[in-house]
Amino acid sequence: MALEDYRSDMETCCRCSACKFIPLEKVTGYQHTYVCPSIARYNFHAYSGGGRMNLGVAMLDKSLDYTDKLLDVVYNCQMCGACDISCKYAMEFEVLEPINEFRIKCVEDGRTVPALNNMINSLRKQGTMVSGSKASRGQWAEGLDVKDFTRQKTEVIYHAGCRTCYDQEMWKVARAAVTIMQKAGINVGIAGEHESCCGERAYQTGYKEDFLKQARQNMELFRKSEARTLVTGCADCYHAFKVLYDKFEMKGDLEVLHTTEYLDRLIKGGKLKPARKVVARVTYHDPCHLGRLGESYIHWKGKKIPGHIRIFDPPKEFRRGTYGIFEPPRDVLRSIPGLKLVEMDRIKEYAWCCGAGGGVSEANPDFAKWTAQGRLEEAESTGAEAIVTACPGCERLFSNTIKENKSVLRVYDVVELLAKAI
Amino acid sequence: MLKREIYSAFEDVVGAENISEDPAILESYTRTTRGVSPRTEAVLLPKETKEVQAIVKLCNRYKIQFKASSTHWGPAGFAPGPNAIKMDLRRMNRILEINEKNMYAVVEPYVIGAQLQAELMKRGLNCSVTGAGANCSALPLAAHEGLGHSCQSMSYGERNLLAVEWVAPDGEIIRFGSLGSTGDWSCGDGPGPSLRGIIRGHVTPLGGLGVFTRAAQKLYHWPGPSIFPIEGVSPHYAPNQIPEGFMIRYISFPSIDARFEALRKIGESEIAFQVMCFAPSMVAANIATNNQEDMEYLERISKSVQGPGLQIIVAGNSPRDFEYKKRALEQIMEETDGKSLELMEDPVIGGGQLWRCIRITGSIRETLRATGVFGGVLGGFDVLSLMLEYIKQVAPLKADLMKRGLVLDDGAIPFGQPVEHGHYGHSEMLIRFDPKFKGTPEALGQLAGEATNIAFNGKYGVLNSINGDERHDKFGPLASNYHLWLRGIKKSFDPGGASLADSHITVKE
Repeated sequence: MALEDYRSDMETCCRCSACKFIPLEKVTGYQHTYVCPSIARYNFHAYSGGGRMNLGVAMLDKSLDYTDKLLDVVYNCQMCGACDISCKYAMEFEVLEPINEFRIKCVEDGRTVPALNNMINSLRKQGTMVSGSKASRGQWAEGLDVKDFTRQKTEVIYHAGCRTCYDQEMWKVARAAVTIMQKAGINVGIAGEHESCCGERAYQTGYKEDFLKQARQNMELFRKSEARTLVTGCADCYHAFKVLYDKFEMKGDLEVLHTTEYLDRLIKGGKLKPARKVVARVTYHDPCHLGRLGESYIHWKGKKIPGHIRIFDPPKEFRRGTYGIFEPPRDVLRSIPGLKLVEMDRIKEYAWCCGAGGGVSEANPDFAKWTAQGRLEEAESTGAEAIVTACPGCERLFSNTIKENKSVLRVYDVVELLAKAI
Repeated sequence: MLKREIYSAFEDVVGAENISEDPAILESYTRTTRGVSPRTEAVLLPKETKEVQAIVKLCNRYKIQFKASSTHWGPAGFAPGPNAIKMDLRRMNRILEINEKNMYAVVEPYVIGAQLQAELMKRGLNCSVTGAGANCSALPLAAHEGLGHSCQSMSYGERNLLAVEWVAPDGEIIRFGSLGSTGDWSCGDGPGPSLRGIIRGHVTPLGGLGVFTRAAQKLYHWPGPSIFPIEGVSPHYAPNQIPEGFMIRYISFPSIDARFEALRKIGESEIAFQVMCFAPSMVAANIATNNQEDMEYLERISKSVQGPGLQIIVAGNSPRDFEYKKRALEQIMEETDGKSLELMEDPVIGGGQLWRCIRITGSIRETLRATGVFGGVLGGFDVLSLMLEYIKQVAPLKADLMKRGLVLDDGAIPFGQPVEHGHYGHSEMLIRFDPKFKGTPEALGQLAGEATNIAFNGKYGVLNSINGDERHDKFGPLASNYHLWLRGIKKSFDPGGASLADSHITVKE
């Protein structure tokens, strides 16, 4: 697919501005009604989902050319998909897909932002999207006595992801995940220094070919293993393996589960019993790529039936966030004795993004922190003492922002709290 | 491109971050599915009334035209250049006051209907949200007409408008109604100058007469829960149960006359919170979560109704009141041979539709999901029977296009709605179409012309779609030469012609 393939979708945008707000039926007050960080921060219509549709059509019509401002619009978006979901409450056309295709076109045209160069160079050189040597990628698991699935037979692959491997403060989450699985008797293995980036961030920033290269490499590694289940604690990796690899028909029969899904399954299957009390009042932040964007890819090939309404042959089912991973992380938290879960105003399919996605952490850290700050204030307004998430990208940005703003809010991964209870 | 001196002057007012003349920014203000406009010279994002005033004064000084918009859905929000700038009022987004005792709310232009309504419901209050949807501005002057689904019990924009703060086209800030003398917002007509008839007539000036920066509107009581109990994940939202004291029904009748009799009786007995004479196509589109489903519901509903219908929402203020209203409706149905649509009695489908129509979130589905293009014929705003008669005459025009395959074949049943329990009324005809279909744009252009002629020759009043010089000049002589007065107002308040009036009326002689 290319930007041109989404012309009809983009031309269907009616400028209703639904993409700027949470689904209107869920608005319960003045506060927390905005859903798109980009338009909320920059205000010009171009920064909204609808504005991006306008720019896409204009680009195809050649009535618009690259400017620095255009690139500013293109790359100041977390690719969180909130606009897509709010739009599709009522409308029926793709929003996030053409936004992504616009970025791919920018890369093809050699028009990106220099701030992304480090990330992409590191990916090309070492197979990681953050700086760090390939050899140190497996250090997080030292002393865990966990198998290497590239050499030993395991039933489950645990993929830690770049953000965990190269961030020592995040190691505790991956170590806890593996330890809990081992306690439940799961034969789990990791790739250690052979693990490689999933490619998600490359795809989100428009580097499609680099993503495909990573995907091919990873699937080759996974196929050599006999494991048919992959578990990851990173929402971006989860989305890449489950959704993007499937989109490009590379996933095969690999079962992809987020750590929270897998642990929820173990708890419900009686293999794990959270017994120790963890007394705390917490709120849960839905990572975008696990929540609204975490539903399975829907393969469809067909055409619009000629006529005065957009219906397709065969019928096309749009991804609307309906089947995202919302309950498993919450169910894990609910299973912990003593823990009280309170909800924020914007949750599940209309959750406010943490701010880290889409290359924004790399290209515009101030905007990333501005977005995170909005979420942290929302979390504080619930009276929670901690915000819990299920992605190292969210956790890192929240932690940094909390430190900078001297907030008393704490931040955890779901797995960290579960580990305390087991 | 603006001269650097002028651009700098604007920049000094709003700050560098809140002005742009970059093609990428300007381009996004040129397109809707209803049309493409030439680019404006610059877009500005004022935050305060004083900034709006400063911009307007600069426009007058440098002979530049301006237009402001709030949520800017329709093409009237365009500010086509050259020599014109656009004010996007996004940053003016505060609810300034909710006065529970005197039952009014004061908002800036970028508060949307959903935000205000949600805040009001927490206080046992409600407001008339524009029928276009809760995604639109809650400023009672922002919408074209200000009609909404709940007009039956909560009236519409013109009637609900109280005091207003207005940056006139020459830059003077005018505060009228009670605001002009006592500083409170409770009344639009005084003490103090009453300018409600100046700043709007049949419809608002559509950006052509300065900038309305704050306005108050009348509120109504809300007998429902402070937060409606909606569950599920998008797009499958529905209440876990219909709150006590609420009921929704779609009732069909054997004839148009029987429906009109029912409307009259419903109005007379004041039992309805909301009445919308939806065609089956409109009900189907509101309920369905996608186009495929839309067509399936349409077939199902069309087979289940006996003739023209109406959707009614009843809201009881007490158990006794609710019981009375229900019984009154039953009696009216009996007297008019009304038949309830079973589908709407389903608590999930009916419950979802109930909240959708109170919050007003289904209009996008109904009017735009098909192809993204809003189509249809707007009636006027007059005596209900007159409006229903007008749109009945327009229906065969749509039927003809359906027969020729030029628009969607979803029935040619017109829509109408009573206002203030039938005191007034409005009508429309939904027409969905693919604008790229061969022959369709021309056929619709012809239909619009014929519908206008029906209104003109049949003396059905001034249609809501009448804007711009040519149309006002045509209809003016039918209605006390109002176009001359409208032009006189424009000339008096905008001597320099700074306020871009492409969707209003210009000062041409």
